[in-house]
Amino acid sequence: MRHTSLVSVYISLLIALLCQLFPWVGQGIILRPDFMLVVTLYWLLRAPHLCNVGTAWFAGLLVDLATGSLLGQHALSFCFTAYVALSYQRRLVLFNKGQLLAYVLILLLIERVLILLLKLFTGNENPGLAYLLPIISGLLLWQLTIFIFGGITRPKTSTS
Amino acid sequence: MLKGVHQKLETQQTPAFFVRGTSAFLRMVFFCALSITIMAIDARLNYLSQVRQAFIAALHPLEVAANAPGAWYRDTKKYFSAHNKLVQENYILKQQAFEHQVALQRFNTIQAENEHLRGLLNGNIPNQPKGMLGEISHMGRDPFTHIVVVNRGNQHKIKAGQAVVDSKGVIGQVTRVYPFTSEVTLITDKELSIPIQIERNQLRAIAFGGGNNTLDIPYLPTNVDIKVGDKLVTSGIDGIYPAGLAVATVTKIEQNPESPFAKIISTPVAEVTNHLQLLLLDLPDAKEAEIKLTSETSETKDSELKKENLKLNKTNTQTITKPKTKPKDNANAPH
Repeated sequence: MRHTSLVSVYISLLIALLCQLFPWVGQGIILRPDFMLVVTLYWLLRAPHLCNVGTAWFAGLLVDLATGSLLGQHALSFCFTAYVALSYQRRLVLFNKGQLLAYVLILLLIERVLILLLKLFTGNENPGLAYLLPIISGLLLWQLTIFIFGGITRPKTSTS
Repeated sequence: MLKGVHQKLETQQTPAFFVRGTSAFLRMVFFCALSITIMAIDARLNYLSQVRQAFIAALHPLEVAANAPGAWYRDTKKYFSAHNKLVQENYILKQQAFEHQVALQRFNTIQAENEHLRGLLNGNIPNQPKGMLGEISHMGRDPFTHIVVVNRGNQHKIKAGQAVVDSKGVIGQVTRVYPFTSEVTLITDKELSIPIQIERNQLRAIAFGGGNNTLDIPYLPTNVDIKVGDKLVTSGIDGIYPAGLAVATVTKIEQNPESPFAKIISTPVAEVTNHLQLLLLDLPDAKEAEIKLTSETSETKDSELKKENLKLNKTNTQTITKPKTKPKDNANAPH
């Protein structure tokens, strides 16, 4: 396991929150990825001893407070997604890049569907298929996150 | 956390050095239960609005930082916009202001005449609402909710329930107020309703938000006199929206033989996506008007005719028609 510090986790989460707060105008807002979720998932998969279900829950709560949505709905979906992410975390070493991407896709999908269910329960209208677009942008953001912070697992060629 | 006895009792397949405190499943269950509790409290009991307000206030610097690039961009764009364009715009605006002033002169005389006539008939004069100019700071974080965030809040004495309009028509209602910002729910939101009137034939109805930038007018019979293209204006009977503001235009009428009601769909005329400026109208002071009304009516019992006449004129300048409880209900409804 590579060394990661708790400070870097929290700073990156704060930057993700800042991106989430960034005012998006026009139609582009539909494409906006879920910054907080992607960064949380990254740290969950890379350093579960620093960022666990509790951190994910708190990140979700922050998103709820910042977006003004029903308090707890993002928290719930984040912590459930985090649980699913962690349950396969130890097998990630065996995954290649494509499989990892598919795994993240499934996680993002789970989060979106959970939020949709909660929203439908609380009486929002059906948003249509455009609701799933942030998953695609989320995958792009995932690749960017890996590019910035480094891969999830230790590269096989290095000896350290 | 749970080390020693607990681990030995459980039939665990994972080796001990893999165990990281409480299992993920337990944590998940705990936090899910916690978030469900919070959701219930937030949705039903309204206890958490203070927490939310405090958090949003704490978040304000971060929000300003996030807004800064956009603001810089706008400012530089303004700075470098061509001189010619500004001169032209200035000319057009001056012309417009002149035209408006001419129209306003007529409006003023007509209004005075109307007030006089209403006074003669002992009717109530509708109040002229005052407002505060606000600016849309962003269109809400979640694109699938009908919310706009405005840069006016508690600090500017904004209250939940205030009506919000732009130059074209009604936008919606303030639903949540934070220290520096407030949330405006658009009239297209499912949980918002607005009393309207058909401009052509003065037919009153209530329009509900239909989502997807539409308004529904349900519960009207199929033979109702509404045509495509009819303009809907506020009727003013709720006391929140002043009468006569443009709301929407009817775009589609469906008649289903199975249903006794017509399905009337209209689109709002306000252009939320095009402008930044909007006006937050003050709430009518239901309490003040009520107190004045009661005190004055009690006085009139033992006063003379002359005095009575004087006071009638006075009461006419106040608004009396407002229902006292309704504005509050409406203000709470969208939560």
